[in-house]
Amino acid sequence: MASVSSDEWRAICDKFTNAQNLTVVESLNDPDNDPFRSKYKARELLREIYCSLKSFEAGEGEEESGGETGESGESGESGEQLPVEAPVDGQTEEAFSQGFCGDSPAGLRAAKLGAVEYYLGVNHVDTEELSAGQEHLMNSMKLLGRCRVSSENVSLFIHARNQLGILWAGRDETETAQGFLETAESIYQRYMKEDGSPPTDMADYFSTEENQLTHQERTKRFELAYTHTMYYLAQVYKNLGETERAAIYCHSTLQRQLKLNQFSPMEWALNAATLSQYYITKGRYMEGRHCLSAATVISGLAGEVPSEAAAQESETESERREQLRQKRAEIARCWIKYCLNILQDSKKLLEDSIGELDTDRQEEMKRGRRLEEEEEEKERKSAMLFGSEDTFDSIASLEEKVRCLLPMDFTEARAIFLVGQHYVTQAKDYFQMDGYVTDHIEILQDHSSLFRSLAFYEEDLDRRCKMHKRRVDMMEPVCMELNSKYYLMIRRQMMFELAETYNEMMDLKLTLANRQDETESLDSHTIKKFNNLCSASAKYFQMFLDSLCSPEGKQPEHLEEEVLRPALVARFRVARLYSRLICTSPPGQVENLDKSLEHYKYVVDYCDSHPEAVATVETELELSREMVGLLPLKINRIKAKIHANN
Amino acid sequence: MSKSKSSESIKVVVRCRPMNEKEKAAKFEMVVSVDVKLGQIIVRNPREAAANEHPKVFTYDSVYDWNSKQIDLYDETFRPLVDSVLLGFNGTIFAYGQTGTGKTYTMEGVRNDPERRGVIPNSFEHVFTHISRSQNQQYLVRASYLEIYQEEIKDLLSKDQTRRLELRERPDTGVYVKDLSSFVTKSVREIEHVMNVGNQNRSVGATNMNEHSSRSHAIFVITVECSELGVDGENHIRVGKLNLVDLAGSERQTKTGAQGERLKEATKINLSLSALGNVISSLVDGRSSHIPYRDSKLTRLLQDSLGGNARTVMVANIGPASYNLEETLTTLRYSNRAKNIKNKPRINEDPKDALLREFQEEIARLKEQLEKRSGKKKRRRRRRGGEGSDGEDLEEGETEEDEEEGEDKGDYWREQQEKLERERKAIMEDHSLVAEEKLRLLKEKEKKMEDLKREKDAGEMLSAKVKAMESKLLVGGKNIVDHTNEQQKMLELKRQEITEQVHHIL
Repeated sequence: MASVSSDEWRAICDKFTNAQNLTVVESLNDPDNDPFRSKYKARELLREIYCSLKSFEAGEGEEESGGETGESGESGESGEQLPVEAPVDGQTEEAFSQGFCGDSPAGLRAAKLGAVEYYLGVNHVDTEELSAGQEHLMNSMKLLGRCRVSSENVSLFIHARNQLGILWAGRDETETAQGFLETAESIYQRYMKEDGSPPTDMADYFSTEENQLTHQERTKRFELAYTHTMYYLAQVYKNLGETERAAIYCHSTLQRQLKLNQFSPMEWALNAATLSQYYITKGRYMEGRHCLSAATVISGLAGEVPSEAAAQESETESERREQLRQKRAEIARCWIKYCLNILQDSKKLLEDSIGELDTDRQEEMKRGRRLEEEEEEKERKSAMLFGSEDTFDSIASLEEKVRCLLPMDFTEARAIFLVGQHYVTQAKDYFQMDGYVTDHIEILQDHSSLFRSLAFYEEDLDRRCKMHKRRVDMMEPVCMELNSKYYLMIRRQMMFELAETYNEMMDLKLTLANRQDETESLDSHTIKKFNNLCSASAKYFQMFLDSLCSPEGKQPEHLEEEVLRPALVARFRVARLYSRLICTSPPGQVENLDKSLEHYKYVVDYCDSHPEAVATVETELELSREMVGLLPLKINRIKAKIHANN
Repeated sequence: MSKSKSSESIKVVVRCRPMNEKEKAAKFEMVVSVDVKLGQIIVRNPREAAANEHPKVFTYDSVYDWNSKQIDLYDETFRPLVDSVLLGFNGTIFAYGQTGTGKTYTMEGVRNDPERRGVIPNSFEHVFTHISRSQNQQYLVRASYLEIYQEEIKDLLSKDQTRRLELRERPDTGVYVKDLSSFVTKSVREIEHVMNVGNQNRSVGATNMNEHSSRSHAIFVITVECSELGVDGENHIRVGKLNLVDLAGSERQTKTGAQGERLKEATKINLSLSALGNVISSLVDGRSSHIPYRDSKLTRLLQDSLGGNARTVMVANIGPASYNLEETLTTLRYSNRAKNIKNKPRINEDPKDALLREFQEEIARLKEQLEKRSGKKKRRRRRRGGEGSDGEDLEEGETEEDEEEGEDKGDYWREQQEKLERERKAIMEDHSLVAEEKLRLLKEKEKKMEDLKREKDAGEMLSAKVKAMESKLLVGGKNIVDHTNEQQKMLELKRQEITEQVHHIL
């Protein structure tokens, strides 16, 4: 082979630099009718380099058995599709134990030729000639196959497999892609275990001595290639439906970006916060909390939010302010979901059949929560830690502020609630009503749900009732402010929630009154309160039902699927509310019961004429049928009494 | 269309362009056939291996083959939509399809050739013709033009083309683009000018021009506000909004024009780590979680058109040649899905953000100011008439009817100025005054003259402003009188009749 300092060699290096420049820089400016012009030029240069390398070999009389790989690009040009049969990647074991040394002349030559094949392969893939690209990449693999993995060639080993992974994934041959990428993964791991020195980058093969990369730069490029392996594997697993594995690889990708300092703080933080949402929906709160804490800490690395004054002075500051505030508010919203989910999950565990706290179960769960539990978590945790030396402590101290075990009583629940509420304030500070209606309301709804979950643990009914009152207070004005023309869905959700909240308050008031006063009758003050809550609940259910009407105010004959159950349930609930209104005058009672009957009848009639609705409201329908049978009797009895009294 | 039904599907039409010279020369096979009567597009796979395969058949609201005329397309498909915009509905036209299938020809066509004019110029003509023939209505037409490229919104009509705009929401008026400029247009020529300015801005500043134009979405919005006296004696405003949307090319997101084989559709791997967020969020079950990645800006901005308060027509463009088979099928499948989207259009009556209302109120306010001014002047004149009398102003608010303001006003100003000038001279010549006193009096007079001038300018500006604002409001008949009107109307009616007949026959 030509000596590294010869002119011939220099010419090759120049050509290579040129080809790289064409591929990366020039190609961006190619015209529409000739979009691959620069890449085709680069391809020519690479081919020339290939030939030169070959001729060096010939000149030096070293017989090379790889000659038959030759010019393989031709087949691609003809536009013919090669038979697509999935190749199987060689074993990692062989790659480490067989073939000639990476730093032997033969090994170096193979690596160089392999690199050119690699670049030719990428070039063909980029220009949509997959079959030719595949062939070049496979040639590259074949050449390397004769060598043992070493610092001289390991980078190429990884790169070529990454590319083949992408290529096969693009053909919907996901398993084949998986094979290549997993081999890359194990080669990396074994190399790092057995050698670990900064490996030669492929660009180094074709640069003159003075332009060689530093060790640091070599490591950086090599590690980045492997980060991509992780990232591609995450996608491959996702496409294979292996969500959990995909999440692990996303996690590793994030971990590596952080460790190798290859990340932009805000982007990273947002990704980590998003990953937390995967964990919390799987009930893995320790992982979720770790992601969120890291997200908060790393987002802090992006610097202080510029002041309003600074933002007014310059456009860039204003944009930065906007970006930082928005993304931090997004992270806060992910925290809210963490708190909400953990509260709701424990509620699900602890509630009895009527949605009240099951104290026996609570005791049992508390006893069952062993000390070792947290120890176990620590072990699990070491595998997924984020952080560098300087961020590690801040992440850990943030984690300590909120527990990741399901809360078992009011005190524990309240601690989580308060953290959630803290983030609600933070998120609302950016997502204000004016400008961010949908976001603002989503946050309000979460806040309301936080209260609702906390109320579950509250034993004092009066205080519980006050919590529900807070929910009403935050939603009622907003619901009325919204224009239904643009926010119909959101308004419907809010109306429904308001109706249910009033209903809950009404029930609580009644229980309270009955507890305080064991005697039969309620005092007039309580009756008035009860009736007010009852009417308010009915009012919002009715508003919801009215929102389904046509612009002319006509009830829809056919309820659409997405509102079918809510509409029928609302009818049923209104019916019940009317029958519960406390009224001392018999004619008033009759009036309320008539209304009640009317709504029960609607549910029954609708289900009779729309059999497809039956399945969605089975319980409600059964009760409605019963009431339609019973209420007329009751009404008649009262009517008879009125008649008798007259 | 039944009247009681409040929801209606998106109307989807497909147009297939003819083979071009290049395709003919290369002897590409024609794989698409169009059955105009049945509204079907039939695509067969030319590959031998697929010889036994049945051709794929897609049915749409209408289909147009290579012989279709621009005006037929407009009359059958777009005219009813633009008509409903003039009635106060929202309307949206989506143009969709692979680059090079005639999207631009359908939307813009050949501007100066009435025969080959596309949807956009036809709709301009349509809107302003309608206004010119209207009676007892006042119109305000304005236009905005924006582009979405890589999730960034650019105002194509703004002077500063580097600025990015944000989507915002208000509780009373919904989603809007903050700081988006809009221009009031009074004629076809003006609105065309607005569009041309935007089109020029669309092509500057892009680092990679071709990629940019085929991967960006452009939305031209025409807002037509119409005010009319209602039976209740109040002015009512209806606002119709027409979105003309040029969607990014539907080809795969890689470049076209490759020499070699083509990729087939597949779940491809994202190469850039910048998409890690998308990969992660695709793993998250969205129900009880928050995902910090929003819907696309395009979807949010046009949410009304895709399952909301709007009438929507989607026109998909395809090419007939075999080498586009995959893309043609992708376009057809996509369009098929669009048919299932249901909209609930309503007339937008008296919305809070109607500009016309603001204009009317502003004009009324300015007019009132002007009247007050002339009232004040008259008062003074009268006072001047009864010289020496220093009585109270009892004529407050009294205004004479119909004076020829302009000349009268001119006289008044001149008189005032001459009078001041005379007084100034008198002071100068008055030797009895001490120098200081003289200076003081002179200064006073000068100040008075300045005040007078300022007042005059203000008055002129006010009336100019009223004129300018009034000129932006369009009314029928007066503004655009064209004698061809009646003739044209007849012709159009004829054409419409024919179109309807054809539909009956089908």
